[in-house]
Amino acid sequence: MLPAAALLASRARLLLATLAVVAAAAAEVDFNRDVRPILSDKCFQCHGPDERGRKAKLRLDTRAGALRERDGQRVIVPGRGAESELLLRVLSPHADEVMPPPEAKIGRLTPAEIDALRRWIDSGAAYQEHWAFVPPAAPNLPPAALRAGPDPRNGIDQLVFAALGRRKVAPQPEADPATLLRRVTFDLTGLPPSPAELAAFLADPAPDAYARAVERLLASPRYGERMAADWLDLARYADSFGFQVDRDWAMWPWRDWVIQAFNRNLPWDQFVTWQLAGDLMPGATEEQRLATAFNRLNPQESEGGSVEEEYRVNYINDRTATFGTAFLGLTLDCARCHDHKFDPVTQKDYYQLFAFFDDIDEAGLYSFFTPSMPTPAMWLQGAQEKETYAAATAAVSGAEQALAAVAASRWEAFAAWLAAHPDGAGLPGELARFDFEARLDAPPGAKAPVTKAMEAAKLGHFASAVDERHAANTPAENTPVPGRHGHGLRLSGDHPVNTTLGNFPRHEPFSVALWLQAPAARERAVLMHRSRAWTDAASRGYELLMVDGRLQWSLIHFWPGDAIAVRTRDPLPLGRWVHVAVTNDGSSRAAGLRVYVDGVAAPLEVVRDQLTRNITGGGGDTITLGERFRDRGFQGGLVDELRVFDRALTPLEAAEVAAPGALTRAVRAPGARDDAALLAHYLAAHDPEYRVAADALRAARARQTRLAEEAREIMVMRELSAPKTAYILRRGEYDQRGEEVRADTPEWLPPFPADAPRNRLGLARWLTAPDHPLLARVTVNRFWQALFGRGLVKTAEDFGLQGERPLHPELLDWLAVEFVRGGWDVKALLRTIVLSHTYRQRSTGTPALVADDPENTLLARGPRHRLPAEMIRDQALALSGLLVERLGGPPVHPYDLPESFKPAPAGTGDALFRRSLYTFWRRNGPAPVLEAFDVPKRVVCVARRDTTNTALHAFVLLNGTQFVEAARALAEDLLRATAGRPEALPALAFRRVLGRDPDATEAAILLRLHREQLDHYAREPGDADCYLTHGSRPADPALPPVALAAAATLVNTLMNHDLFVQKR
Amino acid sequence: MSLPDPAPLCTGAEPWLRLSRRECLNRLGLGLGGLALARLLARPAHAASAVGAAPGGGLHFAHKAKRIIYLFQSGGPSQLDLLDPKPLLNQRHGEQLPDSVRGGQRLTGMSGNQSSIPIAGSPFAFQRHGRSGNAFSELLPYTAKVADELCVIRSLHTEAINHGPGVTFMQTGAQIPGRPSFGAWLDYGLGSSNDNLPSFVVLLTKDKKGQPLMSHLWGSGFLPAKHQGVRFRSGGDPVLYLGNPAGVSPANRRLALDRLRELHEHQFAGTPDAEIGARIANYELAFRMQSSVPEVTDLRGEPDAVVDAYGPDARTPGTFAANCILARRLAERGVRFIQLYHQDWDHHAGLPGGIRRECLQTDQPSAALVTDLKQRGMLDDTLVIWGGEFGRTNYCQGPMTATNFGRDHHPRCFSVWLAGGGVKAGITHGETDEYGYNVVRDGVHIHDLHATLLHLCGVDHEQLTYKFQGRRYRLTDVHGHLVKGILA
Repeated sequence: MLPAAALLASRARLLLATLAVVAAAAAEVDFNRDVRPILSDKCFQCHGPDERGRKAKLRLDTRAGALRERDGQRVIVPGRGAESELLLRVLSPHADEVMPPPEAKIGRLTPAEIDALRRWIDSGAAYQEHWAFVPPAAPNLPPAALRAGPDPRNGIDQLVFAALGRRKVAPQPEADPATLLRRVTFDLTGLPPSPAELAAFLADPAPDAYARAVERLLASPRYGERMAADWLDLARYADSFGFQVDRDWAMWPWRDWVIQAFNRNLPWDQFVTWQLAGDLMPGATEEQRLATAFNRLNPQESEGGSVEEEYRVNYINDRTATFGTAFLGLTLDCARCHDHKFDPVTQKDYYQLFAFFDDIDEAGLYSFFTPSMPTPAMWLQGAQEKETYAAATAAVSGAEQALAAVAASRWEAFAAWLAAHPDGAGLPGELARFDFEARLDAPPGAKAPVTKAMEAAKLGHFASAVDERHAANTPAENTPVPGRHGHGLRLSGDHPVNTTLGNFPRHEPFSVALWLQAPAARERAVLMHRSRAWTDAASRGYELLMVDGRLQWSLIHFWPGDAIAVRTRDPLPLGRWVHVAVTNDGSSRAAGLRVYVDGVAAPLEVVRDQLTRNITGGGGDTITLGERFRDRGFQGGLVDELRVFDRALTPLEAAEVAAPGALTRAVRAPGARDDAALLAHYLAAHDPEYRVAADALRAARARQTRLAEEAREIMVMRELSAPKTAYILRRGEYDQRGEEVRADTPEWLPPFPADAPRNRLGLARWLTAPDHPLLARVTVNRFWQALFGRGLVKTAEDFGLQGERPLHPELLDWLAVEFVRGGWDVKALLRTIVLSHTYRQRSTGTPALVADDPENTLLARGPRHRLPAEMIRDQALALSGLLVERLGGPPVHPYDLPESFKPAPAGTGDALFRRSLYTFWRRNGPAPVLEAFDVPKRVVCVARRDTTNTALHAFVLLNGTQFVEAARALAEDLLRATAGRPEALPALAFRRVLGRDPDATEAAILLRLHREQLDHYAREPGDADCYLTHGSRPADPALPPVALAAAATLVNTLMNHDLFVQKR
Repeated sequence: MSLPDPAPLCTGAEPWLRLSRRECLNRLGLGLGGLALARLLARPAHAASAVGAAPGGGLHFAHKAKRIIYLFQSGGPSQLDLLDPKPLLNQRHGEQLPDSVRGGQRLTGMSGNQSSIPIAGSPFAFQRHGRSGNAFSELLPYTAKVADELCVIRSLHTEAINHGPGVTFMQTGAQIPGRPSFGAWLDYGLGSSNDNLPSFVVLLTKDKKGQPLMSHLWGSGFLPAKHQGVRFRSGGDPVLYLGNPAGVSPANRRLALDRLRELHEHQFAGTPDAEIGARIANYELAFRMQSSVPEVTDLRGEPDAVVDAYGPDARTPGTFAANCILARRLAERGVRFIQLYHQDWDHHAGLPGGIRRECLQTDQPSAALVTDLKQRGMLDDTLVIWGGEFGRTNYCQGPMTATNFGRDHHPRCFSVWLAGGGVKAGITHGETDEYGYNVVRDGVHIHDLHATLLHLCGVDHEQLTYKFQGRRYRLTDVHGHLVKGILA
């Protein structure tokens, strides 16, 4: 031992001896329970799994690391605490020796913690695997350990009672029937029991009355709505894109799918698999693909100027983090930038999981200038729409065949035409030709006055040689230069050459040709386009770009997932004039796109081949050269002779445009005439019958396009045919690519199934394997949390080393094992829980018990917690009879949306009375009433809500329109029910609002309240009239206003009572 | 498990309302790991407005600033036309910016693809003012008059290049939404400082165009929701549903609340649950807020001379000027963090006209606020901050004409000013190169600014942490150094 260490040892030994005495009687030490939390909390930050952040090359999260001999000494000597440097260091009084070091600012270890470490080392320093990473094993159910008290009803009770017995604590007796029915009705349906349900339950003496009530609730369609609400938090479901622009999106069909999945009790492993990978399932149904929208609910950006790739990476990070939180209960996000500090998640593990989620054709920014759904998206069509669309598609195929038949039948007509036109017959269909020769100060032939802006930009104008209605213009920064013929233009790259034509729909054949000269190869440059913008419009339109020095020609609905694009194999020749012609045949297929370079069809490769919708819209309706909004222009490029045709030029015609005379030469070519090329020209340009058939095809395609535009779309997952390459991103930065990685799961979890595909479907199989240590535990824990307000593992989002240990680990494991064994049956799981005595107990306890166990971790009491926001509002609607019980549909705007941070007008009619689940959810301004009661903004996956108790709640419940109106509506009902017996009203109101009868004291207070209000409104009848005007439903004019206002105030007051917001 | 004697309710309320400390902490979401724990345990009984546990207030040590008024200028005001004069830009006006100056800095998608980037000098004259000689452009004549009260930082820098992430970074210490805002951290660390008003209030200039603001900017992120800022609205109720609905008089509301209270007291007697106790206290607080909030937001009682000092807009509710007066009133009543937002500084084009308009709306009220606080003896312990989320480029975005041009976003350097609250008065901190492009001396990162602001409030930024998803988070993440050069 080194001298310094020896000194240190002697200093600390004395202290150790003292501690040993103190702790002599201590119980057996358990690594996971007693030691790991200390090491994790105080040591792993510097001596944990993160290799790069590790100090002194010391690793304490593995036994091998802790026992490794270092410079002749060991940090931990099993069996000998006194010789272990670990203890000496934590005990050291010296700032330069003590651990954790003062600069870490995480405090010193307490004597109890040090003692635990000492006893652990003395007893051999055994490590255990972290409990959550070991598959759950069904515990033996112990016999009841209670000397007295209720009998256990099922395994939950056996385990809980045994634990309570060890602590000599007795469970509470069963809650009174009214409280119990209220509790279970809220828990399973999110609503209070109706008066009839309550009355029936109270009148039912049968021992199975409660069990039958549970079955009734599980079968209610309201069950799916209640369960969906929690899942929406995890799925970060909202009705808007989020981030700064935060426009609306219509993803609610996915939300309705969730409700239905709960209602029909889709087994949880399927529920998970469909959402993760429904698109990849063999023979995937529409519903399975719809479920994958789960992965697309991450907030998306469209702020101008944002870096597309940065956000695309963000989205994948979000998907990965959501996967971690929702299914693994792990905080994967930490490992984005470095190895996890506490859990064994390496940065590589992270990017291997990330690699499962990046293989879709998505853009990092959604379109600002168009309402397009980002790709990949699927259509949602009703049966009728599907049928109509299929018929339209068939009509297109028919018209295509008809056109081919016509083409094959026109040899004779062709021969006749050829004989009649020995020099060819020109090129019909030219819409405009700009040769950029005569620069004019005003638009040619146009009546429009020259604006100041045009003058300021020193716009020059050019007439079209073929149709003087069309013109081109350019600001002075694009300068005249000697062109291919006469003059051309040199482009600045920041200034456009605009024209007045070119807004072709995808089904219209057209061609654009021009001369151009590129000074250098560019990674990206916009040569010609018809579109409003690049990322800001998802490139909607068509465009000819230089990409990596080659020409790329595209028709685009939404780049990249809904587009056709081809690219030349060969680079564009540089430094000389090149003739380029691009054509579209109207087929919406990549095969229908052609690029001709110097009159010759260029060999192409297909870049994208999926165009399902139109390419018009979004603005920028005319052909522009050399510049595009927030894109890279054709700086220093030269252009000349731009020509536009309303049909797809044939190869021969393209040659003619590039070099006039080609057509004549082809016709005259003695002995070597290419009749096929000439026939194509003849058909396309001159044959009347072919034109009729082509027009018919165009009309059929136009109809198909129109129907396609009508189809509603929703974002889903659709795997690319070839996976993208994923990389470790250094420091988590999108542009810092490191080592390449392949999709894989962490090695410290069960191995990836050997026969499973390396995609999301394989990932789902891995996750839902019966022996996976996390999915079932994490899931049952969250359902427990939904019912008890607190999970068996309190940190529902973190089952890692920093998460809280379960206080009833056997119970968690028993539930998990039973859940899997029972086929991942959620309703069965909930049934088991709510039928247990543990759940049915009274939620009150002795003051001593409450003081000792305020969070009810022991489960010696029944659940009690503040109702979630949705249930508070829904309760008011249900009690008042205003609730509209309709399942699903587009989101609605209740009264408070005009008060939102991003105000929206309130809806009308039923929209005001739907369940809160359907309230429109804007991430930047959720409904204020729900926000007041702690709903998350749904920006990230949230596994656990906060429940606050603040003064702001009082304003909402006392003064909020929804609650004032609901109170009045219920008051009307009460007045009618107690007609002639006004003294009965207060007690009935109490029972209706709070679900139980008032006791004598309460009844007296209520009577006084009622009388005071009657007196008040009798004195102030004007106030009564005013108070009855709130909301959209008029008050019943048959009821006396004073009595109604007094009753409404009474009800409203009760809606502010503890029992209204608290589940007890 | 035994517990110490019950401590008073955290919000400060009737003595019979007893909560265990543990429950109190759990309710606050602190848990036993939270480092704000120490202060809470140390808080004396019934001292609801006591500040901090450290001698002299503060959480970890004595504070200089008891409160902060943050005049956030959203959109990115041009430092080159307001606070950081660069004569070289005027000399080289119209020339291409040398690549060497840019040094590979990433540009936004807006000007990043521009083929040329000509240098744009400022059309506004700069002058030194006061004994300190702090320089201001002619756009800030009123601010210039309080030059000797201000600490101008010219060397602030950020990583964000767009508004959403930029403002989010400035307000929460991270670019992606989800973290607690500065005000929420402060409220979590220091607790409420008054009985009748929220301790974190947000005021927006109304009817402003420009980049949209997001409510997460004053959100509580993963901290308990009670720490989020309460936005006072300029029209209708300043707080959601604060006012009684028509047909409910204050007296009648009081009557009903008295019965509710009796019902709750009875309920509490049978079910001694702290939640019920807190509920009773909250209804009383709500009732008090119904008068305290309208009182503080009603500026009619302000003397004419005071209102006039804030400029011609000051009588119009919801203007920046009116909000500055309101900020002072809130500060007087113990609100700890008052966050103002003024939008529309995003001058990609038409900068000369745009920046003149925003200065007309903000220059006089901002300066008047400093003067007003000083006259009331509050400037010493009130920290005022003025600035945006990033700066603007020294080159022109879009077309440049003799009278018009624009500037793009610039993260590498920008200027803010601070006043009062323990900051050196009359100094300029940090320096940028002669092109106004890069910081050359005493750079201040946003994390550094945050660390320093917390320090002034008596909080060690490394010690104010909250455990979330297995990790201890703090406002400054794993960064942040105290900017000692600006401490008085």
